Amino acid sequence: MAATAVAFAAVGVGGLAGPALLIGIGVVAPALAAGLLWKVVRTAGLMSLPLGISALLVNLFLYPGATDALFSIGPLTATVEGLRFASEILLRILAITGAITLFYLTTAPSALVIDLERRGISSRVAFVVLASVETVPAMVERATVITAAQRARGLDTEGSVVRRIRGVVPLAGPVLLGSIAEVEERSTALESRGFTHPGRRTLLWWPGDSGRQAVARWSMVVAVPLLVVARAVGWLGWLG
Amino acid sequence: MPELAMESVVHVYERGSVRALDGVSLRISAGERVALIGQNGSGKTTLVRHLNGLLRPTSGRVSLDGRDAALMRVAQLARSVGLVFQDPDRQIFAGSVAAEVEFGPRNLGFRDAELRGAVDDALAAVGLAAESRTNPYDLGASRRKLLALASVLAMRTPVLVMDEPTTGQDQRGVATVRGVIEGAHAAGRTVIAISHDMEFVASAFDRVVVMGAGRVVGDGPPASVFAAASWEMLRSTYLEPPMAARAGERLGLGSTPTDDSLISALVRTG
Amino acid sequence: MLTFESVSYRYAGAARPSLQDVSLVIGSGEVVGLVGASEAGKTTLCLVAAGLAPRTVRGTLSGRILLDGTDMAPLAIHELAGRVGIAFANPATQLSGVAGTVYEEVAFGPMNLGLPRSEVIDRTDAALRALKIIDLAEREPALLSGGQQQLVAMAGLLALGPAHLVLDEPTAQLDPAGTRLVAQALARLAMDGASILVAEQKTDLLASICDRVVVLDAGRVALDGPAAEVLGDPRLADLGVAAPASVRLRRLADAAGASPATLSHLDGALALEATT
Repeated sequence: MAATAVAFAAVGVGGLAGPALLIGIGVVAPALAAGLLWKVVRTAGLMSLPLGISALLVNLFLYPGATDALFSIGPLTATVEGLRFASEILLRILAITGAITLFYLTTAPSALVIDLERRGISSRVAFVVLASVETVPAMVERATVITAAQRARGLDTEGSVVRRIRGVVPLAGPVLLGSIAEVEERSTALESRGFTHPGRRTLLWWPGDSGRQAVARWSMVVAVPLLVVARAVGWLGWLG
Repeated sequence: MPELAMESVVHVYERGSVRALDGVSLRISAGERVALIGQNGSGKTTLVRHLNGLLRPTSGRVSLDGRDAALMRVAQLARSVGLVFQDPDRQIFAGSVAAEVEFGPRNLGFRDAELRGAVDDALAAVGLAAESRTNPYDLGASRRKLLALASVLAMRTPVLVMDEPTTGQDQRGVATVRGVIEGAHAAGRTVIAISHDMEFVASAFDRVVVMGAGRVVGDGPPASVFAAASWEMLRSTYLEPPMAARAGERLGLGSTPTDDSLISALVRTG
Repeated sequence: MLTFESVSYRYAGAARPSLQDVSLVIGSGEVVGLVGASEAGKTTLCLVAAGLAPRTVRGTLSGRILLDGTDMAPLAIHELAGRVGIAFANPATQLSGVAGTVYEEVAFGPMNLGLPRSEVIDRTDAALRALKIIDLAEREPALLSGGQQQLVAMAGLLALGPAHLVLDEPTAQLDPAGTRLVAQALARLAMDGASILVAEQKTDLLASICDRVVVLDAGRVALDGPAAEVLGDPRLADLGVAAPASVRLRRLADAAGASPATLSHLDGALALEATT
């Protein structure tokens, strides 16, 4: 539902306190359905924190032309208008981060890549993307063993900064050299399994795409410009 | 020469709930030649990494001559316990064989004549004396493994631990490893090796420790660990006794776990 | 049938050839063992047999390799994919790295060849069945034991349907249980008609599954004959190859003066033990 997430984020930006409603429909509801509500809330919340806090503080105290005061801290005065504006911004941020988090948590990289491959990207490119995701844990594991082996030979990784810097070559060296050697062996194995065969490869499975999903997707995409226009023309004033 | 001891050591890896070591108690005296056997996943690698502090017990105690290993950093423990890893390519970084072998002793503070002597002795012990200026990657995989062994030998630690020293070695390589074990033993060093090669284990070590599911399930000289009475224990950890033991059992000669015992028994019967 | 006719091979930039004038035949249903000291040329021979040298691994090849009677030279590497499969010692590097399940891993080859989906499925099912790993189908390849990964790699090769399998020290990194799994699988595959070339240091293993054994020495064929004969040859030690335990024990017993009757009893026992 990548398209969903993207469309939703766009809508989130276009609306007002309407975003709250959209968050409810587009983020909270699907998250509940997927059993991921807490994860989405936590991750999106953490992601939004830095930007959210600064937006809140800036707008709460420094909103230009505000008159309705709430309270004061020293020379700074918090205003109602400022609070309102800050809330709007916060909601938009949450809409975006919520949508992104939902997408990230519900989509397996392989599903995404295979879907793209089905829709036309080259098998080779698809492979490279998928393989790169897999390489990270492998490299981490490799680096862990190398560090252990060098420490067993007296390399001090618990000492001063200078000592640790001296440890870079014995640590990075084998990671690189070994990875290169391994890549060679891997590519040989891949080639012997027909990897360089010209043409498209057969896909065993791809993410299902029901009629309903397609409808939901497209209606959201269409809704974006509609909502933006509606807002500009003033029809959505009742949302506040 | 220190005595190594593990008391009720339990180790649980952070990520899982699996007890890689489930209460291991072991005492290894100075000068022993110990083989550690067991199927993959039985805890052998986890155990040896506790000996030099790379892993710390979740509970229980590891000590070196009575001193708690938990109080010492890995770099300090490396003076007493040298551990040779299984994959030389996850260690080699220098441009020459000599530079690679120098790394360990240099870290321990060896200098000048002492350093040169340590490197030369180690290279001679593994048969790479003529290759001191060769790039390690110009050596074949099996000789790189011997290089990794030399790099730890040169540290002259009282305890030498080897992880699968004979895998991938041809006959000459295995003979070299045997020579290293003999040389270390003659110098009074303790030798511990993880191995899958039952023939090698039966003939090169005084003591065999069998691991299964994180516990020590067998411990004794090869003659008793490979005796018929222990086969059920061995098979529970998916191991087979060496050929001499199996042939002797088939011939009804009683327990003949080593080559010599089989031959003696055969000659006795006619 | 895989035939080497006076094959020599020199790696690009190497001073000396790694294979010199090698001639040998691997017939269908035959399991041929390949032994020799390290750097005697076993890996090179395997790479040449699979066509990877000189295609991927650059070098100069002289002589001919015949695949079922026709010259291998004009075939590209992906054309060889369905005819010769090769497996290496490190189980992890043989996995594609992009398959979430063993099933997808085994299907990788046929998928690459663009075969119809139903055929991909048939071949994958057959390969999993042949290696008795159907119960591993939904597992994640990276989390399996080394022995299991090797079986998956072999299934991956089988799914491509090659008539010839080349294995370069497939059990080097495996524990005894894993080694047994692979040995049993190889024996079964040979029974199904594959011609198999397996390079190994473990002569005990070769003694139990090979019909013939070839000994390489500095790139040349030193011995080539029935397994029992070659593995019992006294010249093996000079060629840097350890005799199997059964041969060693037999020699010790003989040297210790055991009677012929005793020796023949011993032979019987050793033979029975060898076929585990």
